[in-house]
Amino acid sequence: MDFDVAPFTLQSAAAGVLSWLSVVGILTFMAVLISFLLSVARNGAGGIGIFTKGLLSYLEDVGSLSPRRILALTNLTLKEAIRRKALLVFAVFAVLLMFAGWFLTNSNERAELQVGIHIAFILQTISWLLLPVVFFLSCWALPEDIRIRSLHTVVTKPARRIEIVLGRIFGMWIVTFIVLVSMGIIGYVWIVRQLPPEAKNQLTCRVPLFGYLHFLDREGQAAMNGMNVGDVWDFRSYIEGNSPGRGVFSFDGIDESSLVFGTQTAADGSGTVQVPGLMLECRFEAFRTVKGSESSIIQGVQAQYTLSNNPRETAFGLFAGSSLLRPVGSALRDAQYKTGANRLEEIAAKVATDSDSVKAGAEAAEVKQNDYFVLRLAAAYAADVLRTRNDAALTSAAAAFQKVSDSTNDLLNRMSEKSAEPYTALSAALTELAGVLTQDAETLNEHLPRLDVVLPSFHVAEYHEGSAQNINFVPRVVRFSADAETQSRSLAAVFEALNSKNQLVEGDALNPNLPGLLHSEGELSEANANLVTEVLSEQLTSGVLKVADGKLSVADGQRWLQYFDSLIQKNLLVSADSEGWMMERDLINDLTTDGRLRVEVSCVNDQMYLGMARPDLFIRKPDRAFLVGYTKALVSTALMLMLIVILGVTVSCIVKGPVALFFTLTFFIVGQFFHGFMQAILYSTELKGTGAIASAIMGAQHRGPSVGMDVSETTQRVVEGIDSIPRGLLWAFSQIVPDFTAFNAASGFVENGFDVPFAETVVPASMICLGFLIPCVLIAGALLKFRELESK
Amino acid sequence: MSNDAVIEIRNLSKVYRDFWGRKKVQAVKSLSMDVKKGEVFGLLGPNGSGKTTTMKMLLGLLFPTSGEMTILGKPASDVSKNERIGYLPEESYLYRFLNADETLDFYGRLFKMGSAERNRRADELIEMVGLAKARRRQLKEYSKGMTRRIGLAQALINDPDLVLLDEPTSGLDPIGTREMKDLILRLKAQGKTVVMCSHQLADVQDVCDRIAVLFQGELKVLGRVEDLLEVRNETQIRSSSLSEAAISEIREVLKKHNVSDAVVSRPRADLEELFLRTVRESGERPGRRFTTEEIAGKPGGQA
Repeated sequence: MDFDVAPFTLQSAAAGVLSWLSVVGILTFMAVLISFLLSVARNGAGGIGIFTKGLLSYLEDVGSLSPRRILALTNLTLKEAIRRKALLVFAVFAVLLMFAGWFLTNSNERAELQVGIHIAFILQTISWLLLPVVFFLSCWALPEDIRIRSLHTVVTKPARRIEIVLGRIFGMWIVTFIVLVSMGIIGYVWIVRQLPPEAKNQLTCRVPLFGYLHFLDREGQAAMNGMNVGDVWDFRSYIEGNSPGRGVFSFDGIDESSLVFGTQTAADGSGTVQVPGLMLECRFEAFRTVKGSESSIIQGVQAQYTLSNNPRETAFGLFAGSSLLRPVGSALRDAQYKTGANRLEEIAAKVATDSDSVKAGAEAAEVKQNDYFVLRLAAAYAADVLRTRNDAALTSAAAAFQKVSDSTNDLLNRMSEKSAEPYTALSAALTELAGVLTQDAETLNEHLPRLDVVLPSFHVAEYHEGSAQNINFVPRVVRFSADAETQSRSLAAVFEALNSKNQLVEGDALNPNLPGLLHSEGELSEANANLVTEVLSEQLTSGVLKVADGKLSVADGQRWLQYFDSLIQKNLLVSADSEGWMMERDLINDLTTDGRLRVEVSCVNDQMYLGMARPDLFIRKPDRAFLVGYTKALVSTALMLMLIVILGVTVSCIVKGPVALFFTLTFFIVGQFFHGFMQAILYSTELKGTGAIASAIMGAQHRGPSVGMDVSETTQRVVEGIDSIPRGLLWAFSQIVPDFTAFNAASGFVENGFDVPFAETVVPASMICLGFLIPCVLIAGALLKFRELESK
Repeated sequence: MSNDAVIEIRNLSKVYRDFWGRKKVQAVKSLSMDVKKGEVFGLLGPNGSGKTTTMKMLLGLLFPTSGEMTILGKPASDVSKNERIGYLPEESYLYRFLNADETLDFYGRLFKMGSAERNRRADELIEMVGLAKARRRQLKEYSKGMTRRIGLAQALINDPDLVLLDEPTSGLDPIGTREMKDLILRLKAQGKTVVMCSHQLADVQDVCDRIAVLFQGELKVLGRVEDLLEVRNETQIRSSSLSEAAISEIREVLKKHNVSDAVVSRPRADLEELFLRTVRESGERPGRRFTTEEIAGKPGGQA
C-alpha cells in the first residue's frame, strides 16, 4: 500500500490526456503510414486508391456504429460464456471459502491483522480465480469463432467488424461484472461471518488525512530529517527525548468535515459526553539507549503533541537552512525582531565586505553561495507568508523581505560578472530590512501571534504490546494550560476590551468588580483574576500604571502586550491556580490558518528516541463503512479485468488463441511487475551507464564510463545514436504496456483498514482502462476488417 | 451495369499467398460474368475450381487480388449490401449453444428489424423449415439435416433479394432435398435471385436457369441450362400410341417418309454428362472457353 498516492487533479488529468493524445497520435500516424506503404508495395500505384478506399470505408464503419447490433453481439457473448460454463469458477470459489476458515482464523492474532488477512484472502482469491477465466475468454473467443467459421455467418450480415469487437468486449465485461459482483457479495458475507467478534469492530474504512513531515533538530532548528539511530532502513527518522527535537506534521485541508465525535469528560465531572473533535492516530517507533528497569520498559515511552498555530515558524523557518542565517531565523521565530535585525546587519556588513573584495578584484569569501541560495528562498517565502496574511501592518516588512530576495536573486544571476554592484545592493536591502524589523518590532509582535496548545502526554504503544496503534481524541474546544506568550496576549486583549468600555477603573482606582469581569470575560479562573487585580493595584499605586480620562494605561506609554510580557518575565503573574492559566481555544478557528494545522510531536523521556515517518501520524476523518472501501477495491479489480479483456480481444483479432494468450499474458506480467522498472530506466537520473555498443567499445579499450570511449566525435555520435534506438523502443513499449500496478493500490488500502481514495485509485484506473479502450477498439476493428477470414 | 444484373463480376482474380507474400495458388483467373435479377444461377466446378472462393469474395470474406465486383449495385467490400443478402454456408456455421429461436433472434437483430417483425419472421421460417418442435433445443443437439434447415432459416431472416447458397442440398435426405429445390423455385417465383454452388448436378439441372462451370479458376461454360443441354445434331421421335406393328412399320416407312404425329425434338444430354465432358476437355485444352454451339454440337463425344 502506497500512502503517498499521487494526487489526481484536473491539471494532472489534463496532462495525462495530452500525453495520451500524443502517444495515440504517434501510433495512429505510424499505423496509417505503414498500411499505406504496404498497400503501395503490394499493389503499386493502385495501392494509393485501395488504401484510400479502405481508410474511408473504415471511417464510415466507425461512424455508423449501431447500438442495436452491438447489443446483440454483447448478448451473444454473454450467453456463450454462461452456456460454456465459464461460471464454473464459482464452484472453485465456494470450495476455497468452505475450507479457508480452517486456516485463516486465529484468535491469537491481533484483531487488525486478522481482518487484513481475511480481506486480502477474498480480494486475492477473486482476482486470481477470475484472471485465467478472463484471459481465456478474451483470447480464445474470436479466434475460435473464426476457426469454426461461426463468425462468417455474422460478417455476412450487416454487422461491422468493429461492432463485433465492441460486442465481444462489452459481453465479456458484463460476464466479468456479474461474476465479480456475485463473488464480492459472497466474499463480503463470508468476511463478516468468519471474523471473530473481537475483530469485527476493526472492519471499517479509516479515512486518513496525511500531513507533511519535517523535523526540528535537538537545537530546535528546522531540518528535513531527524536523527538516525543506526537503522539501515532509514524510513523513519528519530527525535531525541527531552530535547527541543520535534517531528512536525503539517496537515492541510482541516475543516469541520475533518471532525469526528469522541468522548470527553463532562464539565461538571459527571460522566462523559460526546463532543466533536479531531482524531489523531499514530504508530511511532520507540528506540531506547538504556535498558532501564523492567518497570520502565513496561511504562514505555511517552510522547506529547503540541498543536501549534505559529506564523513566525512558517515565515522564518527556512532561514535554518544555512548556518550563517540560522541566528536570524531563531530570533525572528522567537519574536526577537530587534535581535534578528542586529544579526541581519552583521550579515549586511559581511556582504559589504565581499562587495569591497570584489571591487578590489579579489574573491568574495565572507558569505558562501549556498547562503545566498537559502537567503533568496527564505526571504521570498517570508515575504509570501506575510503578504498572504492580508494585514496592512505587515506590508512594509513583506516588501523589505521581498527586496532582499530579489537582490539576492540578482546577485546570484550576476555572480560571474565579478561586479560589486549587486553585493552593494544586497547589503543595502539587508540593512533596510533590519531597519524595518527594528522599527516595526512591536507591531510585528502583535500581528504575528504564536498559539501553542500542549496536549497531555501519552504512552506510545509498541508492537510487543500487541498493538502499535495510538488513537488520541482532541476535542474541538480544547482546554489547555497557556504558555507565557498566550497568557500575555490573552490578558492584553481582555484589558484592551475592558478599557475601551471604561470598565477597568472607577475614579482613580481599579474597578472593584474587575476580578469578576476578568473571570467572566477573560477566561481567568477566580484565583488568577484576583492575582491579576492585586498585581495591577500595586502597579497603579506605584505609578507604573496611571488613570486618565476613565482609562487605565501604562505610565511610560508601553502597550498592554509588552507590559504583560514584562510582568510575566518578572514572575509577577505566576498562576495562583494549581492547573495553571487554563484556556480554551477552538481547533478550527484558532489553531488552523487557511486549513493548515501544525502538530509537533515530542518525546518526553530522557535517553529515549521516537521514530516517525510521514504515514505514522494521520488525522482520522469520519470512518466510512467497510463496504464502501471493499466495493472500491472490487471496482479496481474489475477495471483490471476489463483492461485484460480489451487487450485480449484486440490481440486475438490478428493471431490465434494461444498466441493471443501469450501476448496478453506478457503484457500483463510486464505491466504488473516491470512497468516501474522501465520507467526507472527511462526517467531515473540515478541509473547511469551507456548503450550496448558504447559498452563493447569501452570494454575493448579497457576504459570505463567515467572516461568514455576513445573515438572521434563523429564516431561517438554515431554510436550514441545507435545506442539510443533500444531506448526509443523501450519508451514506445512502456507507452503501450499498461501500468497494471495502478489497479492493485485499492486492495492494499482496504486490507490495511483504510478507505480507498477514489480520485487517486479508482479514477486513474478508470482512465487507464478508457485510455486503452478507445485505441484498442479502433486497432482491433481495423485488424479484423482488413483480415481475410478465409485466407489459406 | 445492365439494369437487370444483380451481380457483376469483371476480370476477377484471386491469388492465395503465403506468409511471406509468395504465390501459393491462383484460385480464380480473370473471371467475368453477370447474374441477372430473378434467375437461379448455378456455379459448378470440381473441387478446387474456385467457385467457393468466388462466392466468398462476393460476400467479403476474401478480398480479390484484382478485378471488380458489384452486388446489388454496391461494391463487394461494402457491408451495407448485406442488408439485402442471405447466405447459407456450405456447413451451417452457427452458434451451437443457441437454440433455433435465439439463433434467428440474434441474426434478426443484426438487421434493421423490430422485435415484432423479428418474432413474426422467426415463427414463419421455423414453420417453413419444419423445426417447430425443436425450436427450444440447442443447435448442438441437432442432426445435420436440422442444422441445414436452421441455416437456411437464418439466411432468409431478412427476406433477402439475393440468396447465396453453398451446397444447399448437402446433408439433406431425399425429401429434404426435394423441399429445398421447391423452396428455391419458390424464391425464384417471388422474384428473388438465387446463386448456388453445388456438386449435386441433378439438383442444379432441376432448378437452375443458368449455370457457369469453372475449372482451375477459369470460366469454362456459361449459359442457359436448356441451351447447354440441347443436342442439336440429333433428332428424337417419341410417341405413346404406337403398336408394335406400327413401330415396325414406322421403322420401314421412316426409311422413306416422315410420320406426322410423332414427337420430334432434340435429345438432351444430362448435366452430369456435360460436366464431365467440360472437365475432360478443359484438361486437354487448358485456357480455352467453350461456346454454347460447341457444347451443343457434340453430345457425349468430342467438343
